[in-house]
Amino acid sequence: MEYLPDFDLLRPKTVDEALALRRENPEARLLAGGTDLIVNVRRGIVDPKAVIDINGIADLRTITSPDGGGLRIGAAVTLAELLEDRRISEDYPALCEAAAEVAAASHREVATLGGNLCLDTRCLYYNQSEWWRSANSYCLKHRGDVCHVAPSGKQCFAAFSGDLAPAVLVLGGTVEIAGPNGGRTVPLGEIYEDDGAAHLRLAEDEILTAVHLPAAPPGRSGYAKARVRAAIDFPLAGAAIALRQEGGVLEDLRVALTGTNSCPILIAGTDRLVGETVGEEVAEKLATMLPKQIQPMSSTFTPPGYRRKVVANLVRALFRHLTEAP
Amino acid sequence: MSTPDKKPMVGRRAPLVDGIEKVSGRAMYTADLDHRGALVGRILRSPHSHAELLGVDVSKARALPGVVAVITGDDCDKPYGILPIAQNEYPLARDRVRYRGEPVAAVAAVDQKTAEEALRLICLEVRELPAYYEAGKARQPGAVDLHDDRPGNLEREIHHEFGEVDAGLSAADVVREESYDCAEVTHVHMEPHAALADYDAERDRITLHSVTQVPFYVHLRVAQCLDMDESRIRVIKPFIGGGFGARTETLNFEIVACLLARAAKGKVRIKLSREETALTHRGRPRTGIKLKIGMTREGKLTACACEVEQTGGAYGGYGIVTILYAGALLNAIYDIPAVRYDGYRVYTNTPACGAMRGHGTVDVRHAFECLLDTMATELGLDPFKVRRLNLLEAPTRTINDLAVESYGLPECLDWIEAASGWNVRKGALPPNTGLGIACSHYVSGAAKPVHWTGEPHAVVNLKLDFDGGITILTGAADIGQGSSTILAQVVGEVLGLDFDRLTVIANDSRITPKDNGSYSSRVTFMVGNAALQAAERLKAVLVAAAARKLEAKPEDIECLGETYRVAGGQDSGIPFKDVVSEALVDTGTITVKGTFTVPREYQGGKFRGAGVGPSMAYSYSATAAEVSVDEVTGRVTVDKVWVAHDCGFAINPLSVEGQVQGAVWMGLGQALSEETRYVAGLPVGPNILDYRVPTIVESPDIEVKIVETLDPGGPFGAKEASEGALSSILPAIANAVHDATGIRLTETPLTPDRVMTALVKQERAAKQANSRGAA
Amino acid sequence: MAKSILRLTVNGSGREDAVPANMLLVDYLREVAGLTGTKIGCDGGECGACTVLVDGRSRLSCISLAHTCAGRQVETVEGCATDGRLSLVQKGFHEKLGSQCGYCTPGMIMAASGLLRRNPRPSEAEIRAALSGNICRCTGYVKIIEAVQAAAEGTT
Repeated sequence: MEYLPDFDLLRPKTVDEALALRRENPEARLLAGGTDLIVNVRRGIVDPKAVIDINGIADLRTITSPDGGGLRIGAAVTLAELLEDRRISEDYPALCEAAAEVAAASHREVATLGGNLCLDTRCLYYNQSEWWRSANSYCLKHRGDVCHVAPSGKQCFAAFSGDLAPAVLVLGGTVEIAGPNGGRTVPLGEIYEDDGAAHLRLAEDEILTAVHLPAAPPGRSGYAKARVRAAIDFPLAGAAIALRQEGGVLEDLRVALTGTNSCPILIAGTDRLVGETVGEEVAEKLATMLPKQIQPMSSTFTPPGYRRKVVANLVRALFRHLTEAP
Repeated sequence: MSTPDKKPMVGRRAPLVDGIEKVSGRAMYTADLDHRGALVGRILRSPHSHAELLGVDVSKARALPGVVAVITGDDCDKPYGILPIAQNEYPLARDRVRYRGEPVAAVAAVDQKTAEEALRLICLEVRELPAYYEAGKARQPGAVDLHDDRPGNLEREIHHEFGEVDAGLSAADVVREESYDCAEVTHVHMEPHAALADYDAERDRITLHSVTQVPFYVHLRVAQCLDMDESRIRVIKPFIGGGFGARTETLNFEIVACLLARAAKGKVRIKLSREETALTHRGRPRTGIKLKIGMTREGKLTACACEVEQTGGAYGGYGIVTILYAGALLNAIYDIPAVRYDGYRVYTNTPACGAMRGHGTVDVRHAFECLLDTMATELGLDPFKVRRLNLLEAPTRTINDLAVESYGLPECLDWIEAASGWNVRKGALPPNTGLGIACSHYVSGAAKPVHWTGEPHAVVNLKLDFDGGITILTGAADIGQGSSTILAQVVGEVLGLDFDRLTVIANDSRITPKDNGSYSSRVTFMVGNAALQAAERLKAVLVAAAARKLEAKPEDIECLGETYRVAGGQDSGIPFKDVVSEALVDTGTITVKGTFTVPREYQGGKFRGAGVGPSMAYSYSATAAEVSVDEVTGRVTVDKVWVAHDCGFAINPLSVEGQVQGAVWMGLGQALSEETRYVAGLPVGPNILDYRVPTIVESPDIEVKIVETLDPGGPFGAKEASEGALSSILPAIANAVHDATGIRLTETPLTPDRVMTALVKQERAAKQANSRGAA
Repeated sequence: MAKSILRLTVNGSGREDAVPANMLLVDYLREVAGLTGTKIGCDGGECGACTVLVDGRSRLSCISLAHTCAGRQVETVEGCATDGRLSLVQKGFHEKLGSQCGYCTPGMIMAASGLLRRNPRPSEAEIRAALSGNICRCTGYVKIIEAVQAAAEGTT
């Protein structure tokens, strides 16, 4: 028997039931694929009193095409399902490419869109066993008062490591959040905070229920990821780009990154490059925008200097790839 | 031997004799065994790197309902260790803890929850001591000694010189020196450690099931630490999920399980987590190498000087053997007139290192083959040419007294040169892709056993009874390498019988003969030879019986396996079962024994440390790797590997291919992605996510050529097949990366960040050179 | 820990067991159903040794709660054989030496079986992708790919 703490397992059938359970069990955690949560429970970094399994909520498991165009993807749609949906692979390649890069095939069978967007931040001092963390006096993110990455400060630098968020960001996705006072829909970027210990701006009684992607814009999108192995690994850094060009002139450009900060970063200022002629020069200008907006820290044992360098390389290469003739 | 119409048993691509159990899920590994009534054993591990242990208060844990036994260092005052000369470890720490993760206490409780709770109730009182995680720091003057009898934290210092090194270096046209730093790596056998110990209080006997490669050594150490007579102990090795050297010495949890079972007067099961398995790792130590090679303009080696420093961890383990191998096997692959070796094995406050596939040789071979490539490039010589110019000629004896009786390296080189398309493709590949080669070798069993008792190196028993089935009884541990299959093939070949008459029973100390275990690639060679002799003896018994039955002279009897007949006669002969019935008359069940002992002349020279390195036979490998380097991420991808391996003779070519592919791939992991790093003595990635064992996606095709040199000492000419090829892939990859990019990395693994740093440096240097050129 | 009734199908047979909420599927299979073929190789989701099929798709049973499989069809390596004879995938792993120590083998066989059911003629790249979460430390994967190919061709 593997040792897991005691908890109740609650299995609602509707979002309203789930919200009610959320209210009744303030310390409950939502379970979708479990690829992040159960691992963290086994490590002792999450000790839920109750687990709410949202897989039984039909509304969260469908991909629909609303009348106004675009797509609504339920938060509990698995990455495998996402990859098999032609609407996504044809119209939103960045999302598809990002999903294909998550972990490995068997993880993707259960890992979900919502789970990946809400993935806990990661750090070499945090994703360890209870024995390990206790031997190291714990850390700011969990039970301790020092960040071992930056011991003099009071901020947690655990890195956001989801692959899908940058893709959704550049595709202009919004997220549907159900809460006690009805729902709200906000741009994805608004649910994040650059704080490793509290990177999600979701209230305890809220549930992310779906992602809306606007009608597929003309143009191209893609995702590129740096990692050591070709599967399983979380991103050391990842970059998504969506762009449109007309006659070699940039008409739209959005760039978002993962793995560099405690939340995904939508690069600001890319609109300044609109109107420029695509080519090496603009790729270089784009790359020079990055350093001031990112802050990789020693939260992985791959040095931050590498992650800084590689993310710029990924952006340059992906930009080049997306602006070349298909 | 076999009749012409019968498939020979040796040389056959035979699936494993225990393969059906493995693919059907019926194979029982230690954690799968019936554990009804077993208590759950858990180990409390030191959170301190280095501290005096002033007190271990277990009173609260003992008082917890459901806790049956709690033990500490006080429960065992007998140190243990694999080498008789380096026994400095206790199953549970006494007086001092020396690494984070060292077992300090253990509990046996009714369930896991209670056991975990009990661990939390144990209080340690300590006085912290300075801790050292790197060899250099541990060797600094004034450093606190981890072990009082090892001043300066030097476990062992070695200074060997064979031939005239300084003269050799003076005679060289080119002398180059380079330093290499190879990260610590570990085995990651897929089965986490586990042990099931059952103490019979009525009889004062203990039965231990464990995941070991060396049941005999475990037996000895359990007896020693429990202060019990060996006859009261029974050690059984069930199916085990890999070893790769991790399990070639007795490990703390095995003794702790027995101590707990005795204390609880019952049955205790310990299953270690993956993290705990990593803390108990015994992997390949971080190794610093300073290597100097002298060469003539034509590429002939004149001398070599090598200094090696290993960050050994907190306890002795196999450390002395590792540091000796690192030097000894500088020899026996090329003709080097003079070799100097200075080795330093250093104690540090990290989990103890030990034996890992390619024990002691891998990092030094990497350095050597890289520097050879560097010098060849500088001299404008083809890497194949340089190696061919320095080949040995078998039989020969090296300057450090190693006997090379068979040597297939020339054929290995020829094959990889042709298969990789070297002569047309080298230098003609697209940008950022490249080809590299390297060679390596390994022992076929250490000629000197760990314990010199005068017993044979290997014993195999055969039992033949009324049913006509032959049971092969062996203590050789099949750890997935297929040794049981090999022994069945050897016995079957001699007797002309197929697998259906043969059953292998291995690794139950009550039933099977003692064997030293599965390490140093000794089983095919040594146990194979013992099996060969046993089968020949059984055949003699059967031939004598057939002669009686056929009323002929034994020398006239022809054994056709399922039939025995008078040679040259018209008679169709008599069936095997009738021969067996005749053989059993007056004697009943037949048991015969075969043994094997390495002759004295192969057991090494007379100098101190000469016992490590000698073997009756050495395997040889040559490997070519084709790589591509992604400029964007710095990631190295190995696109294809060609490896030729001289295993003497392939008793099971399917198995040889599997072993060679596995070895090459394991080396590839060390070359590209695997490393054990510590923060203040805590392993950063004690799991398979952060310790990056390659996945199937980036693992290349590995094409294997078996080269057969028919070694005069090996069974049917066979030598080892599962370690030698490992060492050549690291330098082959590094040399290919140089071919692809022009960068020479002296650290392993060649992770994207290291490659990127080197690429950036190269780019900067090129820019500087350009601007200087422009100015 | 309170238990509740879990009803599901394991290798074709319906089961009903009292199971605590926090029990992992792998522990349910090994300790409750007595099916020890499914292995544990890591501390959660890293190695794939525990892979089983749930409704025909790969599932890492060491990070799945047993109760989340209520009403589902679970298949383990013990369920692969028919009338005591090995399935083509099992035969492939045995005859091509896709299994050395055998510890990753049950997970490999289940992941490969799931793949071949969806895609009876996978390319080499598809085989690699489907087994991307299954770590093997013995074979270097070369013979595992051959084993799956042989099973796909049905020629073993």
